[in-house]
Amino acid sequence: MATIKEYLTTDHRKCDELFASMEHKASQSLSDAKEMVKEFVYETDRHFQLEERVMFEEFEQKTGMTQGPTQMMRHEHSQMRALMKDLLDAIDKNNNDKFFGTSETLMILMQQHNMKEEQMLYPMAEQHLSAQSDRIVEMMDSLVVE
Amino acid sequence: MELQGLSTDQAPPLSVPIRFFTTAPLFGIIAGFIIFFTDSSILMNRYSVESIVITHLLTIGFLGFIMLGSLTQMLPVLAGAKIPKPQSISMTSYTLLIVGSLSMVFGLLNDNDTLTTIAFLGLGSGFLLILTSIMLGIKTVKHFNATVKGMAISVGFAFSIVVMGMYMLYGYMSNDISSAHFIIANIHSVWAIFGFAGILIISVSFQVLPMFYVAPKFKPFCKNRVVYIISTGLMLWLFFNIYFDEYAFLAKIWLALFFLAFATTVWIKFNKRKRPVSDVTVWYWRSASVFLMLGVFLWITDEYFKHEYIVMVAILIGGGFILSVMIGMLYKIIPFLVWFHLNAMGYMSIPTTVEMIDKKLSKIQFLLFLVSLIGFIFSFYYSEFLKPSALFFIISMIILEYNIIQPIWFYIQKKKTKPDFDMSMFK
Repeated sequence: MATIKEYLTTDHRKCDELFASMEHKASQSLSDAKEMVKEFVYETDRHFQLEERVMFEEFEQKTGMTQGPTQMMRHEHSQMRALMKDLLDAIDKNNNDKFFGTSETLMILMQQHNMKEEQMLYPMAEQHLSAQSDRIVEMMDSLVVE
Repeated sequence: MELQGLSTDQAPPLSVPIRFFTTAPLFGIIAGFIIFFTDSSILMNRYSVESIVITHLLTIGFLGFIMLGSLTQMLPVLAGAKIPKPQSISMTSYTLLIVGSLSMVFGLLNDNDTLTTIAFLGLGSGFLLILTSIMLGIKTVKHFNATVKGMAISVGFAFSIVVMGMYMLYGYMSNDISSAHFIIANIHSVWAIFGFAGILIISVSFQVLPMFYVAPKFKPFCKNRVVYIISTGLMLWLFFNIYFDEYAFLAKIWLALFFLAFATTVWIKFNKRKRPVSDVTVWYWRSASVFLMLGVFLWITDEYFKHEYIVMVAILIGGGFILSVMIGMLYKIIPFLVWFHLNAMGYMSIPTTVEMIDKKLSKIQFLLFLVSLIGFIFSFYYSEFLKPSALFFIISMIILEYNIIQPIWFYIQKKKTKPDFDMSMFK
């Protein structure tokens, strides 16, 4: 079974792929890209939930750190959720400039966020949660999105 | 356990990198004016005072400032490095470097020993202060990746070139230019271009190309080996250059091969990037890749022309490659930093990063810069090209300054208003 780091990193790449396909489609026709934007938003939000409702919870419980790195990651998730809402608004209003302006900002924010998680938080999580790794990955895999 | 780097509190205040970024084009403008008022035959000689002054306005003032600004920003955010007292150290070294660079320019141009002494002290202390603090920051990094390792090596080269630069400035101060001066000058310039700037750009591109353009990641061989191979090549080149000059050519080929490979890789990665969006920063990366290929090729063939084209090599690699990458980075980083800091302070209704800089103006700036570089190259054959090229260069630098100040001006104005959300709970 994949480790926590491998599981979540693979999920990052999946979101990256969806992001790129969504932008590609939008560059051809903004209105035709609506379904792909929705799919990207859904999958990215699902990823945030995997972390917030499972991994972060376990990490906080184990380390006792609730105001540390997970808090900051939650904050960046909320920043990205706001940008994803703007993406959907831009699609509804057929505003090309707004869409690509927002997607560019979201992409940079998302990439630097992923980098921090993959290079710092996930290795820390593995260090503390290695014994429960399989259980946590299973929980994430079976999570029902809210 | 280390937590640094995950919090925006760890990022240095916006003023730290921005101070360096916004000053860089001003040095470019001064360099442009000196080129404008200098005869092309003087600039053909790499050791003329004017050539030295122009080179250092661009390498210290433009490239150095942007690289230092980027290091102070990227190390804490992406690697969790704790740079000691970032605000006061960056402000002190910034002031010392400004005073040092300008004193060097006017000291050398007017043969004024007092100003050259001030330059020696200002540049020496300014560089050593900030480079030491960056090194101390790197020492605190727990999870080293290829980028941070590359940054550490490039800072090592920066230390060496600063010491060599101080030695040469001392020669001007004491009017004692030794025979070693020209050997050291050669090592100083090759290590500055390929050791400091080259390695830094290569290692930062490992992160930046996948991050900003969703380009394919670099292969583990590139990330884990190339920087060491280039560093070894530079050491070998140094050794041959001092003891067996006739073999220095071999080390040059070694270096050239890896930089050519890097230039090609950048081009291919942009072709394979998953984001279809193209902007002026993509143009800058692509032109940087072409200029690097041409520059490295000429650097090798220049051996057969008794270094007749070394100034052209400097324009192609220094201007076409390094300057292009730096300008492209400024266009990406500054709007993002402004957005990131404002958003973290609770300002939600702000323009996106793309809307902060006028797209049309940035394209005009790019074209003027490109035309000026091509013009400088043709000035070797047609000296009447020099002045219009210098003018294009000056205008491109003025537009660049205007473009990068726009987001900062917006930041200053926005900060005077009340944020949409109170973010104090996150502090």
